[in-house]
Order: sequence, then structure tokens, then C-alpha cells
Amino acid sequence: MNRTTRTTLAGVLALVVAGLGAVLAAVPASAADSYVPVNGAGSSWSSNAVDQWRRNVEQYGMRINYASTGSSDGRNQFKAGTVDFAITEIPYGLTDGGVVDTPPTRGFVYLPIVAGGTAFMYNLTAGGKRITNLRLSGEAVAGIFAGTITSWDDPAIADDNPSIQLPKRKIVPVVRSDGSGSTAQLTTWLASQHRSVWDAYCKAAGRSTPCGVTSTYPVIPGRGFVAQPNSQGVAGYVAQTGNEGTITYVEYSYALKTGYPVAKVLNQAGYFVEPTASNVAVGLLKATIDTDEGSPTYLTQDLTGVFTSADDRTYPLSSYSYVVVPTGTENGFTTAKGYTLGAFANYFLCEGQQQAEVLGYSPLPINLVKAGMDQIGKIPGSTTVTLDVAKCHNPTFSSDGSNTLATNAPHPSACDKRGADEQCDAPTGGAPGAPGGGGDGGKGGGGSGSGSGGGGTGGTGGTGGSGSGGTGDGTTDQGGTGDGTGGTDGVNGGAGGSGGQGGSNAGGWGALAGGGPVMCEDDTGVCTNVVAMPVETAAGTTSGVNPWAVVAAGALVVAIVVVPPLVARGAAVRAAQAADGPGGSSRRASRRASRVSRRRARRAAAGAA
Amino acid sequence: MAVVPVLVGTRPFGSASAEADGGGEPPTIPPAPPPAIPPAQQDEPRRIGTRRSGSDRVFRAVLTASGVGVLVVMATVGLFLLARAWDALRVAGWGFLTTQAWEPDSGNFGIAAILVGTVLIALVAILVAVPFSLGVALYINEFAPPRIKPALTSVVDLMAAIPSVVFGLWGFFFLQGHVTGLARWLSTTFSWFGPFQVPGTDPTDPLATATVYTSSTFIAGLVVAMMITPVIASIMREVFSQAPVGEREGALALGSTRWGMIRSVVLPFGKGGIIGGTMLGLGRALGETIAVYMIISPVFAIQWHVLANGGSSVSSLIALRYGESTPFGMSALMAAGLALFLMTLVVNFVASSVVARSRSGASS
Repeated sequence: MNRTTRTTLAGVLALVVAGLGAVLAAVPASAADSYVPVNGAGSSWSSNAVDQWRRNVEQYGMRINYASTGSSDGRNQFKAGTVDFAITEIPYGLTDGGVVDTPPTRGFVYLPIVAGGTAFMYNLTAGGKRITNLRLSGEAVAGIFAGTITSWDDPAIADDNPSIQLPKRKIVPVVRSDGSGSTAQLTTWLASQHRSVWDAYCKAAGRSTPCGVTSTYPVIPGRGFVAQPNSQGVAGYVAQTGNEGTITYVEYSYALKTGYPVAKVLNQAGYFVEPTASNVAVGLLKATIDTDEGSPTYLTQDLTGVFTSADDRTYPLSSYSYVVVPTGTENGFTTAKGYTLGAFANYFLCEGQQQAEVLGYSPLPINLVKAGMDQIGKIPGSTTVTLDVAKCHNPTFSSDGSNTLATNAPHPSACDKRGADEQCDAPTGGAPGAPGGGGDGGKGGGGSGSGSGGGGTGGTGGTGGSGSGGTGDGTTDQGGTGDGTGGTDGVNGGAGGSGGQGGSNAGGWGALAGGGPVMCEDDTGVCTNVVAMPVETAAGTTSGVNPWAVVAAGALVVAIVVVPPLVARGAAVRAAQAADGPGGSSRRASRRASRVSRRRARRAAAGAA
Repeated sequence: MAVVPVLVGTRPFGSASAEADGGGEPPTIPPAPPPAIPPAQQDEPRRIGTRRSGSDRVFRAVLTASGVGVLVVMATVGLFLLARAWDALRVAGWGFLTTQAWEPDSGNFGIAAILVGTVLIALVAILVAVPFSLGVALYINEFAPPRIKPALTSVVDLMAAIPSVVFGLWGFFFLQGHVTGLARWLSTTFSWFGPFQVPGTDPTDPLATATVYTSSTFIAGLVVAMMITPVIASIMREVFSQAPVGEREGALALGSTRWGMIRSVVLPFGKGGIIGGTMLGLGRALGETIAVYMIISPVFAIQWHVLANGGSSVSSLIALRYGESTPFGMSALMAAGLALFLMTLVVNFVASSVVARSRSGASS
């Protein structure tokens, strides 16, 4: 190693040390409000909402780690004490495949986190055009997922879709390969409403009957079923353009996210409905919640009433999702963690619920929010917050305690009634042009528009907000479409008008990026976009790392990777020159000579030809 | 598990020479010329002792400790698997080897399907990766212009640094959509070849779904092939570059073309490296987890049709189920893991014996 190499190396080292120092210095000394990182795992059904909330609370210095590994995995990890909280759709204690899922020995309570609809997302085209307004009866859904209906033009499907020319294509049901709450939700419904079909399938798959609720979908080899891990896996599989004819069960938000339609499902009243926030809210009015505070399953749901709800707006596969939180300080859970988890729970029960609808979920009603707030108090170290209805801005809240979202839910149109000659041709789910979102919804439309709502305080919607279409990619007429929805929604006032949620391409997932959630003042009815609102943070509470430190760290990494080999090569070349200078040059000379002679020979050959 | 083949694979160029130079016992006492022996005395073999210096002893101790350490780790892994798998193995008995289903909680489980699936995925990967890496290694060594040689080498090595989850994402979201056409062509053109048949599809049906060709053993194998190619290629390249220059020049001087020289000198010489690299790749392909987990649609029946949807592998099954298993289910997974462990061990031993018998492996 000669002197130049050594100086270069010293330089690199100095750079490394300086860079490390800069990065370390950039880490803020004050961990805001003494929040500590909290780890959770579980449901991928709810993970789109949870992930958004986690990002939102980062500004307060809370770090919530969440791995969406499936409800079964979440419950098991909580039981084993490897995570601080778990999110699951079904409680402990259910029997699955003859084995009882025993509750953990550590103390725990359930806390409702969000509501939503298990949607049937599909990928189907006919005549080169994507079908986006498919309707399915309960029998058809059961038949598809039990393998008795195998072609899209089966009469059981065709009869409910008079306006669609269904292709004679094979149906490919895509199911979850891991233990999942979505599977549990679907099989709860199957076992309750279509028991014979489900039991016959289960028996063929080698399970004992009655099959009941299961978290792991049984797959019979050779039936053409596809199994994929995680909600992202099944949704991602269906969303591959080539995978036509596929249908899966997944939370509505995944359909919005991937831009694919969902099937409208027939309810007891004879209407085909989509799992929108309001339809889910209506359905869940009939859910029986365990209100016995002493019971270990306090606050958990019995959905039988939802499946058979007679309201024409009910989405039958609506359900709640729960977070399992510890009540003791075992398994490494501390009061500091409890404090953070309590603060996070307070956030998602109140403020977080505003975003539920945009994300493809449905906000929790006031009774569950209240009970949830009480449950938070059982987390060691948490601070109890009493619910301030006026400040919570939950779209379901009203002064008289009824569920505003459900009360004001629009009734399905006549074309959605079973037996109508023509079916509605409006696209569903995340399909382009659907109210929920759209293929190019990523543009975010008139997100920054602020609708001045004429909705008034908590009453009925009146004329709704006249939303100004907003800036950016959204056009005025998109905003205009939105204000119709806004009108039906009392508290939310001009929520629809603010473009994000409007009936335009701009909505849905795009609203997250551009539009963002909407917040309304109760007394004035003025709604503003949360993203557009200035957020005040005290200087000391910022947890973000200095961006320059990030850049410096990046440069440092590149330098560490790139510089040593360059230096080494340079040194090697120099060493070689120094060592066998004459030899090297002679070799090079001979190589040059041979090249010249070769060229000469080639020229000679050309001349000969 | 991969440690053994690494040693095996690199032995020709690394440790073999180290063994000859430093590891062996240095002849400390040179044989002295026989002194004049009194005729009456009986001939007696001279005692040859080795006096080692302190640093020598420390060096030997460190090397011995690390060598023994590897064996100890291997043994503990094996024992741990056996102990944890014991519950499941006792319940399943010999049926564990012949049962295809995987329902541990109802006592109906076995590794027939998943072990076959594992081997098939690895075979597909090897069949794709070996010719590919052979070409890469030969090109870099023999044909590539010297200026781009180091760049190519580092690009191939960089491929080995891509995390397998990235390969899995690439395979799931990109490759799968683009390779179904090839799978369809293979299955319709070579439908006389059993494993290429895809049941449940009618080539004449224009509306036939492409999903029967997705999530297959073939696609998982392709992705795994991309992951093992750099490993195999760099071992082959390394061995080929060891081919004796004298023999190369001899072949060229006798009038052979460059390809002739490669066939007559480089390939025969590098046979051990080719086989060793392949076996090392096979070991890695057998154990590949996350990419397979993301692509395959698990079915618990022996799936010979490599192009058809559905397959399984031991490691992806463990990744899929370990989080949500009951204690007994966990034991069953451990049993499956034990089977894979033993199989990989056998593959590696076969590889090392093959390599040791070849010329580039024995000495060079």
C-alpha cells in the first residue's frame, strides 16, 4: 500500500466518522411526550386503515409497528407474548378444525377498531370490456366458493345479471392460504347462511362436518382454486390483468386500492348492494354486541342479525375488526408502552375514524367508540380520555346518539332490485369511474378544494355543500359531482363537495394522496381538508430526522460501497506498473503488435477476395 | 446447511492449497545423513517429533475450534429438529412419508406432496440455471473483452446480493403475468410430455383462463433459478479460470479453435466445479423460502404437472404456517423441516464426493 492509497483511505474514514456524527446528531434528543415504540401484528383485513393511522400519528412522535401477517398469526403472537397488541376479526376461543383456539393467559380485552365489508373483488371481461357491475346472490357466492358453480355463465349468476352478457369462462376462486380473519368472516357467513353447501365442500376437502367457522380455507386439489398468502396476495393476484375469471374475498379497501370492481351482493330485502361505508354501517345496526362487561368476549360481535337484516341498504358481509390489547404488564409490556398504545387507540377511535370511509372502511358507531374508550382505561399506563362528541368528528355521531351515517345512508336505486329488467350500470369498487375511486384516481383530484357545506349542524343534509372542485388535477365538474353526495350527509356537510370523496374519478385512494380526509366544523358546517390544514408542531416535538442527515447518510452508504474497490483497483494498477514496468509495457507492446498483424492479415484476406 | 458446500465448492482454489502449505505438519527435523552406526546396534526407526511454536499452536486451536464449531452447530440444528418433531413423527409414523395431505391437527399429514413439490421446484431451477450460468461463466472467462470482464463479474455477483423477497415480488407482480404465454405454449406444444400437461384446460377454448398456468412449480422454479444463477456462475467462473495455461496453450498450438480448447481443456478440467456449483445451487434451491411462498398456490397433493397451478415446498409451507400453528402443528412443521434438512445434507455429501473425485477438486 503506497502513500496515496493510505491518504485516500484516511479520507474515506474521516468521511465515515463525520457522516456518522451528523446522523447521530440529527436524531432528536426529545422523544416527543415519552412515547415508546409499540409492536403489533395480525389482520391484513384492517391493515390499510391501520397503516394510514400509523403514518398519521408519526407526527406526534408515536411509533406503532404493525405487521399484517394475518389474524391467526396475530392472535398466536399475542398469546406467545411477542407482540404488544394484535388485530383480529374473530375472538379467541373459537373451535377451528377440532382445535380450540385457547385464550392467552395474559390479561387482555377487545377494542373495536374499524368496521368494513368483506367484498368480492373480481377480474372479468366480456367482449374486450371489463365488467364492473356484476351482481351476485348469496347462493351464487356460496356456490362459487364451494366449487359448485364453476362457470361465469352459470344460470345462478346470469339470472341476476340481465344486462351483462357473461362469458363462458371458468371461475377461479382465489382464497387465502394463511390463517386469516377474512376467511373466518366468509366462513362464518357460509356456515350460518349456506350450511349444506359449505359442509359438502368441507367434507370433500377432508374436514370433519359440520365445518363451521375456519380461519384456514380448505382447498381441494384439482378444483382450480388458487390460494395466496395475505390480503395483498389475493388482491394482487386478482388484479393481474391476465388472471381473468378470478374472484376473491377481501376487504373493500383492497378493491379501491387495486382499482378493481366488487360484486354487489343480494341482501334480505332483495337489493344488490355494495360494501360502501354507509351500507356497512346500516348492516351493522343489526350486529349483536356482547355487552356483558364481565364476559371475556365483551364487545365482540355476533353477526347473524347482519346476514338477515331486512333493511334494503344492508351489506350482508359487514363486520367489525378488533384490536386485542393487554391489561397487565407481562411479556415485556410496560406502562410506557401502555401510554403510547392508549394514545394511539384514542386517536383511531376518534380522529382516525374520519378517514375510514375514504380508505374503504366504515367508521365505528358511537356506542362502540364509547365502550372502546372505557376499554382503553384498562391498558396499564394509559390515560383515560372521556369522549367529547363534539370534538370527535366521527361521521356516525349525532346529537341524539343514532348513527348518522346509517340514518342518512342512501337507499339503493330501483335498478339494484332483484328482478328489475335493467341492472344499474354504474361501476363498483375501485373500477374507473366508480364513486369509491378509480383507475386514475391516483391523481387525487380536487383534493385541496374546500367545500363550504350548507349541510348545517348534525341535521339532515339539506342541499349539501357546494364543493369547489379544487385545484390540481381535479376539474370543476368533478367537484360538482361530489356535492350531490355531500348533500345526503348531515354532519359531513360539504364533504362530498370537497372533491376527494366526490363522485368523480378523483376519489378513493387518490384522495389519500391528494385529497386527504375531510374535517368539518360542527357549528359552521365548513369542511376543510385535513391534509391542507396547517399542522402546528412545537419545535421540540418533531421526531423527523433532518433531511440533510438522510442525504448525508445516503451519500455515505454509496461512498462506503463504491470508494474502497476504486481505491484498491487504483492501488493495484499502480503497484503493477511499479513492479513490472518494463515487462508490462513489453507485454502491451506485443499485444499491440499482434493486433496490428491481425489487422494486416484481415486486410490481405479482403484483398484476396 | 449451506456452509458445507461453500467449503466444498471453494476448496480447489482456497483451502486445498492452504492445507498443503500452512495446515500440514511442517517437517521441522530434516532427515540427517545416517551417521556411522556401530554394527552391533539394532536398527531402530528414528522418532520424528514436531515442535510447534506458540503462535502455531494458537493458530491450530483457532482453526480446530471453528471446524468443530460448524459441526456442532449442524448437530444441534439436527437434534433440535428431531426433538421438536418427535411428537408429530410418533403420531404420523411411517405414514408421514406417504401421506399427501397437511392437516396436522386432525392427524392427517405427511410430506409426500410437499417433498415432491420441493424437489420439482429445485429441478426446474437447476435445469434453467445451470446452462445459463455455464454460458455466463464461459463468456466472462473466455470470450468477454478484458475491459468489461470485471464489470460483468461484479454484476453477476451483485445478482446474488438481491434479497429473495425482491425476487419474489418481481416474480409475483411481473414475471408471472408475462410468462404464462410461454407456459401455455410449452404445454400445448409438448403435451405428449407428461409433466408439461396442464389438466383442466382446453387449448381450443379462446376463453380458457390463464390462471391455470400461474402460481405453478415452473414459475417458482424460474424465480429460484434467477436466485441461484449468480452462485453457480461465480463458482464455475472461478474454476474455469484455474484451468492450466499450459494445457490451454497446448490445445491452441495444436490448432484447436477457442471452442475446441474450451471443450478439450476447460470443461473437462472444470467438471468438478460445474458439478459442485450445481449441487450448491441445488442446495439453495431446495431451501428457498420467501420467493416460493409468494408465488406458489399451495396444494397438498403430488403435482407432477409443473406448468399447472399449484405446488408446494417444505420451506414455504413452514413460512406460511409457523405463525398460526398449534403446538402440534408446529411439531409437524419441524418434522417437515427435518426431512428437508436430511435431504439437503445428502445432496451436499454427494456433491462433495463428486467434486473431490474430479481433477480440479483434487489438486491443481
